[in-house]
Amino acid sequence: MLLWLALLALIAIGFRRFLVGYPAPPVGVTALAAREYETARAAAEVIYPKGGPIDASGDTAHVAMHSDRFVGAQTRSNRILMALLFIAVEHATLVFPARGPRGWRRFSSLSPDQQLAYLQGWQQSELAPRRLVFMSLRAILTMGYFADAEVLGALGLRPREILSPVLEVDLLWPAVGQHPETIRFTRADVTGPGTSTPLGPSGSVHRDYR
Amino acid sequence: MSGSVRVFAQYDRDFDEVCDVVVVGSGPGGAVVARELAAAGKDVVLLEEGPPFTPDDFELDGSLSMARTMREGGLRTTRGTSMTTMQANALGGGSLVNSAICVRAPEFTLDGWCDEFELTHSTRADLDPHYQAVEDFLGIGPTPDAVQGPRNLLFRDACDALGYSSEPMPRNVVGCRGSGECFTGCRTRAKKSMDISYVPAAVADGARVYTSVQVQRLLTRGSRVWGVAGQVVRPFTGELLHRFRIQARIVVLAAGCMATPVLLQRSDDFANGSGQVGENLQFHPGVAAMGVFAEETHPQFGATQGYQSLEFVRDGYKLETLWAPPGVFAVRLPGLGLELKKNLAMIPNAAIWDAIATCNRSKGRVRARRRGLDPALTWRLDPKDLTVLVEGLWRLAEMFFAARATRVLPGVHGLPEELCSLDDARRIQTREFRETDFTLAGNHVFSTTRMHGDGRFGVVDEDGRCHETDNLYIADTGVLPRSPSVNPMLTLMAIAHRTSQHIAARL
Ligand SMILES: Cc1cc2nc3c(=O)[nH]c(=O)nc-3n(C[C@H](O)[C@H](O)[C@H](O)COP(=O)(O)OP(=O)(O)OC[C@H]3O[C@@H](n4cnc5c(N)ncnc54)[C@H](O)[C@@H]3O)c2cc1C
Ligand code: SF4
Repeated sequence: MLLWLALLALIAIGFRRFLVGYPAPPVGVTALAAREYETARAAAEVIYPKGGPIDASGDTAHVAMHSDRFVGAQTRSNRILMALLFIAVEHATLVFPARGPRGWRRFSSLSPDQQLAYLQGWQQSELAPRRLVFMSLRAILTMGYFADAEVLGALGLRPREILSPVLEVDLLWPAVGQHPETIRFTRADVTGPGTSTPLGPSGSVHRDYR
Repeated sequence: MSGSVRVFAQYDRDFDEVCDVVVVGSGPGGAVVARELAAAGKDVVLLEEGPPFTPDDFELDGSLSMARTMREGGLRTTRGTSMTTMQANALGGGSLVNSAICVRAPEFTLDGWCDEFELTHSTRADLDPHYQAVEDFLGIGPTPDAVQGPRNLLFRDACDALGYSSEPMPRNVVGCRGSGECFTGCRTRAKKSMDISYVPAAVADGARVYTSVQVQRLLTRGSRVWGVAGQVVRPFTGELLHRFRIQARIVVLAAGCMATPVLLQRSDDFANGSGQVGENLQFHPGVAAMGVFAEETHPQFGATQGYQSLEFVRDGYKLETLWAPPGVFAVRLPGLGLELKKNLAMIPNAAIWDAIATCNRSKGRVRARRRGLDPALTWRLDPKDLTVLVEGLWRLAEMFFAARATRVLPGVHGLPEELCSLDDARRIQTREFRETDFTLAGNHVFSTTRMHGDGRFGVVDEDGRCHETDNLYIADTGVLPRSPSVNPMLTLMAIAHRTSQHIAARL
């Protein structure tokens, strides 16, 4: 009986720790569960806080939203690995507690200072697999941060507008997923090679990044 | 005669085809074979699992681009020594998203191949006509100064200052505008990737190209192969649909160094009496460092990889300039929070250079997994090869300071986050490293179906024909018996060119 009670208590605690209390993710999130979204959001905000030479933060650069798109574009097995990655970061406080009060709480519930120190612990760990886990998390978030036009703009890295020349091959196939009937070019549209004028900082910025 | 291209939206039922030669994979190996055989008047079917991309399909966002164009979303990793490796899934294979570097393998390397692998006609002199044919077809030439941009020219300055040889990168590019976007697809269409060069030429010569079709096994009878079978695959989702069979007198596998061994293993281990299929997996692991300069470098502009130095090729490594989508390389910058942002803010003044190492001692293997066609990869970096990589890193640091960098960010665990002087950088030479200290990447892959004069030790002969069967050929980097010492694409295309001549002559 006692054993059953202990087991039930454990399940309840586990349920509370792993599943309960996460805010609903914003509309449009399709690949990440609420808890994964929150881990990504919290980690992005710690890794990329507001201010400094690039003002945008993880939140304002919509990093967690991008992570959702990135995870959504992955194969099933990669998605499983990523789900494990989020769980590892969120709950490894049980193994590597953050410094300060109640450092064993899940990562997204720690104070910002604790979160920073906790992630630094992963980044600088002498355990290579731990560093690797952190590197994977940071890769997902960094790619999201650098998808943001404001971040790219602050570093002078926004892609430039390029008018792609129309080649003979453009008569052979349509955009991915489309039927050849949708090919919008005819032989008369073929321009041959385009200009070879070098691109530079003064070139106009790509429309999606203005 | 004009051939055809079929895309995903055109498949509505199972289908069967018959041809002289079926080529599996449209990367640099398969595309060359398909075109040359079509030009020789053979009836060619070219099968490609990936879709063809148009400029509108290119994702400028590096991570989403990887997820769309690369196998396993660009996150494929080796076990043993953990290293990421990317293989494309697109018409044109790796050429769609690579830096277009085209370098002939050095004479000493090819002589070494001949000695060690009992090859009789694979010296540089033997391969030169094939190199030439490919170079002429693709318009391969040195990268012009006008599109180098500061970060590439600083590399040249560094080599000049230290007395190291250097040269503008030879590339299969005509009319480059220096967008630095080779890894996400060339929007200017200057890069002559296979999808806009050899593949359309094959079509013009009558080849039938089927895209979004995944070959799943060889059709064999006794020791001969009579075709391939597989399924149509929906782009980006991998959903498998209609079935197909292509019957052919000759089958050429050019699915890439990872996929070809898996296809053979999945086909009841066909052509593997030697036990060499999937063995001898080799990479060119690379290390990269970021140098920061007092002046702005506008690193986004300039040819993606515009300069190289072959000074240390005999020592086992090659030095190059590099640019990648910023989100990809920023992952390795040190710090977190505002500290990290401070480091990111140096990017406008930065250059990234890399060293790729031959690593002939480091080997692994490719194995089919229980399900699907993605490979299980094991590979281990030999400690002696690690010292070569360390030496490469040291050279990069030395060069950065010779070019007046104010600091170097090596991105290696155990080293200071910033090296501020050449003296500081000497720590690279004195520290003991472990392989796990490095974040390695290796996109040049070879030798899993290697060429060998003796069928007991290799899978194919010098013409690319499998030793154990008369009508199966392989034409991807798996046939390279070991590292070509430099970027592999041109050498592969030269070998594929030779293979196609051999097949044309016997049909
Ligand atoms: C980011 C990156 C940059 C690089 N830069 C350079 C460079 O500048 N210079 C250089 O020399 N090398 C470079 N490389 C390496 C070079 O791209 C490869 O060595 C080259 O593409 C190998 O050609 P391949 O024909 O052997 O295989 P791949 O190019 O991989 O082509 C194989 C093709 O087969 C298809 N395929 C696989 N399985 C199946 C199947 N079951 N059914 C049907 N089709 C299938 C694939 O989709 C693919 O299109 C780079 C690689 C990468 C990833
Ligand atoms: S640098 Fe830009 S323009 Fe030049 S080949 Fe690469 S993608 Fe094309």
